[in-house]
Amino acid sequence: MSLYLTGTFAAKETAIHAIKQLKASGYGPTDLTVFSDEPVEFPRGLLDQPSHMSLAVVSGAAIFFLLVVGFVYFTQYNYPLVTGGMPIFSFWSTGVVFYEMTMLGAILTTLGWFIWESGLLRRDKTIPVPAIQAEAICLRIRCAPEQYEDAASILKQSGAQNVAKLEKAA
Amino acid sequence: MAHATIPYQQVRNDLWRPLAGASKHYTLTLALLSAVALWGLIAWGYQIHVGIGVAGIQRPVFWGFYLVDFVFWIGISHAGTLISAILRLTDADWRKPVTRAAEAITVFALMIGGLFPLIHLGRAWLFYWLFPYPNSRLLWPNYRSPLMWDVTAISTYLTGSVIFLYLPLIPDVAQLAERATGWRLRIYKWLALGWTGSDREWHALERAMKLMAGIILAVAVSVHSVVAWDFSMAIAPMWHSTIFAPYFVVGAIFSGLAGLIVALIIIRRALHLERYLLPHHFQNLAKLLLLMSLLWLYFTFAENLTVWYGNEPKEMNVFGARLRGRFAPEFWLMVFVNFVVPFVLLGIRRLRSITTATIASVGVLLGMWLERYLIIVPTLSLPRLTSAWGRYSPSWVEISITAATFAAMAALYLVFAKLFPIVSIWEFEPHAPEDE
Repeated sequence: MSLYLTGTFAAKETAIHAIKQLKASGYGPTDLTVFSDEPVEFPRGLLDQPSHMSLAVVSGAAIFFLLVVGFVYFTQYNYPLVTGGMPIFSFWSTGVVFYEMTMLGAILTTLGWFIWESGLLRRDKTIPVPAIQAEAICLRIRCAPEQYEDAASILKQSGAQNVAKLEKAA
Repeated sequence: MAHATIPYQQVRNDLWRPLAGASKHYTLTLALLSAVALWGLIAWGYQIHVGIGVAGIQRPVFWGFYLVDFVFWIGISHAGTLISAILRLTDADWRKPVTRAAEAITVFALMIGGLFPLIHLGRAWLFYWLFPYPNSRLLWPNYRSPLMWDVTAISTYLTGSVIFLYLPLIPDVAQLAERATGWRLRIYKWLALGWTGSDREWHALERAMKLMAGIILAVAVSVHSVVAWDFSMAIAPMWHSTIFAPYFVVGAIFSGLAGLIVALIIIRRALHLERYLLPHHFQNLAKLLLLMSLLWLYFTFAENLTVWYGNEPKEMNVFGARLRGRFAPEFWLMVFVNFVVPFVLLGIRRLRSITTATIASVGVLLGMWLERYLIIVPTLSLPRLTSAWGRYSPSWVEISITAATFAAMAALYLVFAKLFPIVSIWEFEPHAPEDE
């Protein structure tokens, strides 16, 4: 069974120090979550969030491109138009449609991947979320009950203004 | 010297304050704008009931005010893209208080601009024929038609713009949900998607916004290029031009910037955001407007010079009507408000201020509407066949619908500013009031 505690920091430097100390004590990035009311930039390697969003967006765009080319090709040949040998399907004259639909694919994939990667709609509602104070950085730690004292002491030593235990939601 | 900055809590309170309640002035203005918009709807209803003949369009001018308005509003929509996407990609800090206002303009201008093809169709209820759906006659839309290009371009741009506006709104609506009640709480909670402010969410948001900025920029350029190709694909005098697409894109950004400056000035005064929308924001926007004015002049000159030098009789008919014939007053007024006024008011440093930026922007809006009119109407009035020449004058229906779209745009903006913070709170960096 896991337990959650939080430490509130007024400055980014103290929060960085706490994260370094906790990582040195064996906590992994999945055990540590930072909450703030504006984005906080940490040094590279501290709490990196690997992302495949760019790759996903390019893939989404490519899939939409293939789908729309296939669809337009199908519709152009679906009606038995007599053209006297002239091409029915032309990349030049339908290029704008392909381009726009490719971009639509990229846009929709960005939205979808953002929702997935941020974990917004698949968040475990039983994990407690701390209330964020204005301009403060809140560090949430997941630990075993027997590690609680150690984690709390690291937070206090690093300069946390307020250390508290978070109750799990029902 | 160290400056005291506005405390974050005060930033929040100042930017949340306009969302609470509605003053008499606000209610009255909204009522007035809604009445004008309603009048436009009645005019459109009348046109649907009686037929497209009630509009002033007739042979040979089949594109009148509706197409002018369409191109104009699509142009205005470029405000959000330029300010937000370009400046976001280049990490320009000064953009932060103005991005949301710009992104909202894009969405509303596109919604309004997208209505005009429907209005122009006459039988608007048959619009669904443009969508590819299986039907008993095996007929599909013709994807080689520029009309279909418009449909795909505008729907992609509108989808992208709505998402581009929505994504950075999420952290702010999550904060609003903490203090809202009733129906507002339900809306904000639904829009916030359960945002908690975790580092994972912030990282995903920042990545998504960077990607969206790049994508939306590419789409915006393509959209106005497609609108330009609606004209230049036709072998009509003064339309069949290779520079029409960039000319339209430049014009769109120009008018979009002017629209943004006007909107920001109204917001600043009406919502008392003088501490957030600072003179240097308007200075920067004014400089951009001046740059776009010079670019616009360059394109206008290049476009007209090649026609004049080519001296092709059919083209010279339109050229002559614009520069010294029956369209000359509109043409020279356009040059005056699009170039002379911004050049004098914004080019001379001593004269550059919020007031002169407002005057120049209002002038540019008028000038760019006239530019769209001068691109469409003279060419259609003077086609290649001399015996087919004709005249165009708008009917009360077209004028009413045009006026209604301006009122609808303002009304939508007022409602948006009452529901959401018009300055992005989480992106806003507290600054020193002394710097103002």
